[in-house]
Amino acid sequence: MIRMQNVVKNYGANTVLSDVTFEAHEREIFGLLGPSGAGKTTIINILTKQIEADAGEHDTGVTTFETGLMLDEDGLYTRLNCLDNLYIFADIYGIPKEKAMQALKKVGLEDAAKRQVQKLSNGMRQRLALARAILHEPRVLFLDEPTSGLDPATARGIHRLIETLRENGATIFLTTHNMEEAVKLCDSVALLNKGKIVEQGAPAEICERYGAIKTVPDLESVFIKLTGVELE
Amino acid sequence: MRSTKAIFIKQAKDIFRNPMILIEFIIFPAVALIMTELIAKTNDAIPPNMFVTMMASIFTGMALIPTMAGIIAEDTERQSLRFLVMAGVKPHQYLLGAGGFVLLAGIIGSGVFTLIGSFTAEEALKFLTVMILSAAASIILGAAVGILSKNQQSAMAASMPLAVIFGFTPMIASFNETIEKAASVLYTQQMNVIVNDFSANFPLAIAVIAANIAVFSVVFAVAYRKKWMRTSAR
Repeated sequence: MIRMQNVVKNYGANTVLSDVTFEAHEREIFGLLGPSGAGKTTIINILTKQIEADAGEHDTGVTTFETGLMLDEDGLYTRLNCLDNLYIFADIYGIPKEKAMQALKKVGLEDAAKRQVQKLSNGMRQRLALARAILHEPRVLFLDEPTSGLDPATARGIHRLIETLRENGATIFLTTHNMEEAVKLCDSVALLNKGKIVEQGAPAEICERYGAIKTVPDLESVFIKLTGVELE
Repeated sequence: MRSTKAIFIKQAKDIFRNPMILIEFIIFPAVALIMTELIAKTNDAIPPNMFVTMMASIFTGMALIPTMAGIIAEDTERQSLRFLVMAGVKPHQYLLGAGGFVLLAGIIGSGVFTLIGSFTAEEALKFLTVMILSAAASIILGAAVGILSKNQQSAMAASMPLAVIFGFTPMIASFNETIEKAASVLYTQQMNVIVNDFSANFPLAIAVIAANIAVFSVVFAVAYRKKWMRTSAR
């Protein structure tokens, strides 16, 4: 469904994307993995038609209206409250305003519905940005580093929500530099380095291919077992 | 229409929570009222509407351009506009929504100026007409500056000289005939001519102000499309 073929993007003399080719299938969680500056956000910007590629082809199979977007910059109206931020987009999309509260509930922000955005923590702002992205129940959802800087419990909540969205029929395209997150969450991934796709496929298959299956000590699980409390 | 309405409501809520902008809408009519009551009405040597026309010119020419530029630049800087564009908001919808509320505030301000001034019914109508049209011109000019600016700081840096040119030129023009002729293409000059002499050529003033609005609208639309063209088409 989401497809890029031989895409090239240059900023002046600097080549940001070089011959990028991948495909994300319908109703899957596709992860684009790579370090900062690898070109992940540029790929999202091209796919969402915010910038043009210099060469190659790309397609998401849906219209802009059917696309949900959560970027590194949240673009929220900081003087308005959470609900008002969503009402704007509910009005623009022509959907009932009740959907705004439903979206807030999905991200666990119903208690902060009337709170001004400038008084929210970074994690809450990220969740609000996600609520705005899913407000109109898009068929394709682009999430740029959706759990970056979040505490483990909030990140897990977002993971659960992403999985639910996929189960409800959405295709999720996310970028991350958190490999553990990608393994847990993604059906397929593409590894991006310096603007080039170096490998792609199912995470377990890729790991197997390179003999990289290992057990990682999970201190967080120990904490939950001992205390019954999720880290917040 | 629903996008325009959504942005209009957003702008209204945002401005009511932004005291700095609210003050700009209140301060000029308030100063005009105080100076008219305390100075003009107690001094026969001063024309009764002097402070009304002076503050009205400054209000439309100088206050609205930086205000509107700041509003749009803030939306651009914090990436809010990007999400609106991604949601399919077109340039005219955004301008009507964001500028519409500022214009409403400008109309209310113009109404207050009209009430403070000692005008006949015909004069009041002419005064209100040129004020509202000039406010619209300033708002669109400010919006164009805002959309072309990278952030609020650069919007302020760009809009202040423009505000000074449009706001002060009519005052300077009253002392110099050459400047007066050159300034006749500016909407603020035409507004100044009418509010100071209601027997002046009213249709010409309206035509010049309308031409200014048309030019600023084109600049805004081109800037918006240039910046957001790819996503503005669904």
